[in-house]
Amino acid sequence: MNVLANLGNAAAAIGIAAILLVAFGLQFWFGELPCPLCNLQRVAWVLCGFGFVLNLRFGVQPLHYGLSLLGALFGAAVSGRQVLLHIVPGSGTYGSPVLGLHLYTWGFLLFVAVIAGIAVLMILGGRPDHDRDGRHADLRFSGIRRFAAYFLVAMALANAVSSFALCGPIECPDSPTSYWISTYLRF
Amino acid sequence: MAGLIFLLAGVSMMVACAGYRGVAIALFGVSSVAAVLWFDHHMTDPLTLAF
Repeated sequence: MNVLANLGNAAAAIGIAAILLVAFGLQFWFGELPCPLCNLQRVAWVLCGFGFVLNLRFGVQPLHYGLSLLGALFGAAVSGRQVLLHIVPGSGTYGSPVLGLHLYTWGFLLFVAVIAGIAVLMILGGRPDHDRDGRHADLRFSGIRRFAAYFLVAMALANAVSSFALCGPIECPDSPTSYWISTYLRF
Repeated sequence: MAGLIFLLAGVSMMVACAGYRGVAIALFGVSSVAAVLWFDHHMTDPLTLAF
């Protein structure tokens, strides 16, 4: 059962990194610049992935799942608010729909799916690992676990750079049309 | 500000990968609080939920 839980954690970390990668694809290839709430949803994905990284590094523990749940709840709150901002017909939308739904609607559905997924992983997890500081945890952190964790770290840091380039150090406009860094550097 | 939150969260994961669980969770806590405060800062538009 623990093998399944470990594979599930690696799959979850890779899945979250893939979601952030798709968001980057839409941003750079299709010019869908993220609004402040969209950026906060990306932050929520990174926060949600943190618990999975801890599970991959230190072994499966309820505390780590709790941190991921907090991230997923925060993401559901942010995306839910954006859905409500545009739920009344005629109140406008933000961005283009993907497969019939806007990205914030997909975000809300996926955050709820993550909460359900964590429930399944906790059922599969069995007894928590207690070797979080031991040599076993170091030895286990290799292969797919290491790849999943570093993939997510790379996406978080890439988002830090992208967000700074788009918004600058403080505030992002509600509907950004260009990168802050391009106007600041005048190119 | 969002860039800073991403950076904090990314650093917390790097610290976790390096093996420092307590420091990583502390950094995660700071980035979580910052994210919630930033969300609160952006909740300015009133919700119009009636037709």
